[in-house]
Amino acid sequence: MVAIQTNLPTHVSHAKSSSMTDKIDHTQLSAWLKEVADARCKIAFTHLFKFFAPKIQRIARSKFPNEAQSHEVVQDTMSNVWRKAHLFDSDKGAATTWVYTIMRNVTFDILRKIKSNREDNLSDDIWPIAESAAAEEQPYEDHLENKQLLRVIEALPETQQEVVKGFYLMEMSQEQLANHLNLPLGTIKSRLRLALAKLKVHLGEDND
Amino acid sequence: MIKHHPKFELLEAFVNGDLPASLSIAITIHADMCPLCQQKILQLTEQVAEQSFEEDVISLDNLDNLDSSSHFDISIDDDLESDALFDSMISNITFSEDVAEVVKPTDKSVTFKDKTYVLPTVLSNIGFGKTANVGKLSRSRLQLNEDEIHTNLLHINAGGGVPAHTHKGFELTVLLDGSFTDHEGEYNKGDFIMLDGTFTHTPVSENGCLCYTVANDALHFTQGINKLLNPIGSFIY
Repeated sequence: MVAIQTNLPTHVSHAKSSSMTDKIDHTQLSAWLKEVADARCKIAFTHLFKFFAPKIQRIARSKFPNEAQSHEVVQDTMSNVWRKAHLFDSDKGAATTWVYTIMRNVTFDILRKIKSNREDNLSDDIWPIAESAAAEEQPYEDHLENKQLLRVIEALPETQQEVVKGFYLMEMSQEQLANHLNLPLGTIKSRLRLALAKLKVHLGEDND
Repeated sequence: MIKHHPKFELLEAFVNGDLPASLSIAITIHADMCPLCQQKILQLTEQVAEQSFEEDVISLDNLDNLDSSSHFDISIDDDLESDALFDSMISNITFSEDVAEVVKPTDKSVTFKDKTYVLPTVLSNIGFGKTANVGKLSRSRLQLNEDEIHTNLLHINAGGGVPAHTHKGFELTVLLDGSFTDHEGEYNKGDFIMLDGTFTHTPVSENGCLCYTVANDALHFTQGINKLLNPIGSFIY
């Protein structure tokens, strides 16, 4: 089913992924993305380009009647890969998934421009690139340090805990928290202040 | 508890980017409240991505396995042309040292009849029309510009409802807040309710609710005297 909509030839759509999956070198793709992010490495980018661009072009040709638009998809997608490489997190998913979402978003915005005459670029709101959906489920599993921090946070009173977790771990703004918890902004601010004072005592001054 | 979800085909079209903005937004709103669908979307995206980008590999390595009706026709001329084009794209793109900043949109809020609601983040950058009121119903149109597909925020005040109606097209409702009932049962925050033209219902909201609605045709009231209300059908649509 998926195959039909992505224009994978129907002949091979029944072949199972296990054998095919091995053919994409995910480790290599991730490594190149990291080099682009860390060192703005043009060689790594060229490798990524040579891998993705022809495939993006082929997929775009199936969605747009004219070649200029499919080139626009390639250009915009790869340009976003160059500019957003630092947002890619290999712990959260494969490089192919990340590039796919960028390509899908670029395509969506161009199609919307054509059909609805709107340049509101809604795709990044519909499918946020920066935050993976998994991030919300396990916002603080990454580091050992965080585990220790988390234990200390969990020793806080419930009301202070939710404010600290929301602000630092889920990166909500104080305003968002106030809305979310249905509390005045002042209350959020004072709870945060109280909680931080306690955390400092528990963790020691040099730990902040 | 969320009981009503988008069906698989809809999630699939969403992941492929094939749905109009109105329906894509509806699924984003639902998935933000529904870990189950969120998980499905993640998996689907992974699969589709994998399949999209392995196509080349298949075409080169498995050529022998494809029968003669295969619609692969790799043209060497095309490839050469692309090479020059691609090289110039690479140098254009890498010429810029700019790095994209991610700006998180600030949430919008909306007030209907003295009640203020914080809207889902996905609606942050969308314009809304003026609120129109009829009895216990209020609606504000989203400026998505999708021809016959109209998208609204629909607020039903406590004790209000929409008289029995049906549609020629589809009617999608995502409950943003509150609850309503019809003869099928109760719907709660996060529920994703897709109805087609064959369906007749009479939603009533005891304590009031706020809905995100998408429809591609006016509501059509079906019962006796209620037919007089058909202008309300166009109002809601």
